[in-house]
Amino acid sequence: MKNDIPSFLLDTTSSPSPKRGRGRISASYIDKGIGSFAGVLKEGYAQWELASKKGFLHEFDTRIKVVLWLFFIVVISLKKEILPELGIFFAIFVLSSLSRVNLINFYRKVFLLGFLFGFLIALPSALNVITHGRVLVPIITLSKSYDFWVYHIPEVIGFTREGISVVAMLTLRVLNSLSVSFLILYTTPFPEIIKALKVLKVPDTFLIIISLAYKYIFIFARIVTDMYLAKKSRLVGAVNGAEARDWVAGRIAFLFKKTQLKCDDVFKAMIGRGFSGEIKLYRYRKITGKDWSIGFFLFVVELLFLWS
Amino acid sequence: MEIIRAERVYYNYYNRFPALIDVSLEINKGEKFAIIGSNGSGKSTLLQILTGLLFPSQGRIFFHSYELSEKSLREKDFLGFFREKVGFVFQDSDIQLFCPTVLDELLFGPLQLGLEKQEALERANEIMQMLKIENLRDRPSYMLSGGEKKRVAIGSVLTMNPEVLLLDEPTSGLDPKTQVFLLELILALNEAGKTIVISTHDLSLVDELQSRVTVLSEEHRVEKTGSADEILKDEDLLLRVNLIHEHVHYHGQTAHKHIHSHYLFHRH
Repeated sequence: MKNDIPSFLLDTTSSPSPKRGRGRISASYIDKGIGSFAGVLKEGYAQWELASKKGFLHEFDTRIKVVLWLFFIVVISLKKEILPELGIFFAIFVLSSLSRVNLINFYRKVFLLGFLFGFLIALPSALNVITHGRVLVPIITLSKSYDFWVYHIPEVIGFTREGISVVAMLTLRVLNSLSVSFLILYTTPFPEIIKALKVLKVPDTFLIIISLAYKYIFIFARIVTDMYLAKKSRLVGAVNGAEARDWVAGRIAFLFKKTQLKCDDVFKAMIGRGFSGEIKLYRYRKITGKDWSIGFFLFVVELLFLWS
Repeated sequence: MEIIRAERVYYNYYNRFPALIDVSLEINKGEKFAIIGSNGSGKSTLLQILTGLLFPSQGRIFFHSYELSEKSLREKDFLGFFREKVGFVFQDSDIQLFCPTVLDELLFGPLQLGLEKQEALERANEIMQMLKIENLRDRPSYMLSGGEKKRVAIGSVLTMNPEVLLLDEPTSGLDPKTQVFLLELILALNEAGKTIVISTHDLSLVDELQSRVTVLSEEHRVEKTGSADEILKDEDLLLRVNLIHEHVHYHGQTAHKHIHSHYLFHRH
């Protein structure tokens, strides 16, 4: 072996010292994208850790939690007044506090998503071009009003009182739906939620597919992160766009192949453990009296909101 | 002469799970150095930190007295200098091989370094000869066996002629013949002046390499650093860090209870 070592590997001439502080390389879109993948892993672990803690809703049976969650979403969607929606918001806040959820982290997520998918999306509907009514906040004043086909553009364009109340209503609905969903996610490990879907008569086959898919997201994110580190270890400068695209395309093909192989292996492993086309998930523990009482109490609260 | 230094390094995964706690070590130029520990002790994390792929949550890493940090590795000149000198072979060769063919893999590094195509090709050919993979030249990596992939992964790093070669669990999952080949290769490269750093829980590899050794505990701390002999003779230490264990075992009808490591203490 010693004699086979190529001469260039024996060359130990030291290269010149680097000139420090020159030629900065900025983070590529791949860096940022891979950062997001690492984020997926982090979020997954965080969810599992948070959901496995002890708290009011943590110890509550997941099946009842899932049913009540769906009912809550229905109630939130049916309400047409702001006051009951505010009441629901407050009730979820109390439940979150009782469950010892990190409220800052929790509401930061809820408000960010609520702002994007509730407020921003609904905001244009508050303009008098869409929702007619008394203009409270004028934005543009035109020289005259215009009529185009079935559309009427008034002289003063602005947010109407009715429009603002519609936006507030929609935003509150989104915020409430998000906070009740996040509350379930923060207090229940994801695999438990999947299994609890059984009470909604979701077939076991679908449940096992969802479980496998959820698990694969983590495997996938880890492989992608590792692949990127492997490339990074052999990179000596910035990557240009074309090279980056080549690498991404190649790696997508590799992942596709690896996924297929993994799929075959998982299937073989399932057959090896007695799978014959029918999936039987193990039964849950019995629902206790405490679960029923808490469930009944929450159900009554939701009914009150529905009737209010 | 010191080439790599880690000073009181801490690392946490996802800001939650500690992988390294207060780890300090020095690696000298031209030496063989092994980081050993049980699964999950933080060996691979430490290697990735030493190669500037991960950055410590606390503590500092130096290469040739230059500090390694996210900031310093964004400097084009320094990044080139560092990557040319430090080669890293991942445990999973699959993730390391990303070019269309074996030849492309071997050419990737030298071309990155700015070598002329001809010179890069010469390097690739010489490495293929040394690693006995000339017949794989035009094959895509997914058509290679585990041992072949490992050879190509090592070759892809060697064509850059690094001064330091870090190998993560180099013999894991390889057949005995490939393991011996790798061991001989590592020894030959070290004799050629390369600094070799490996992470492993394979005590026989440490024994064969006769390297200096740092032992990581299951609590992710440096338990001890010393010569291979010194470490391998310290049964209490190896038991404590879970690299060997007590084992009941039969010879005919007679049961023996003794300390067990598949390689060191189990030779009958």
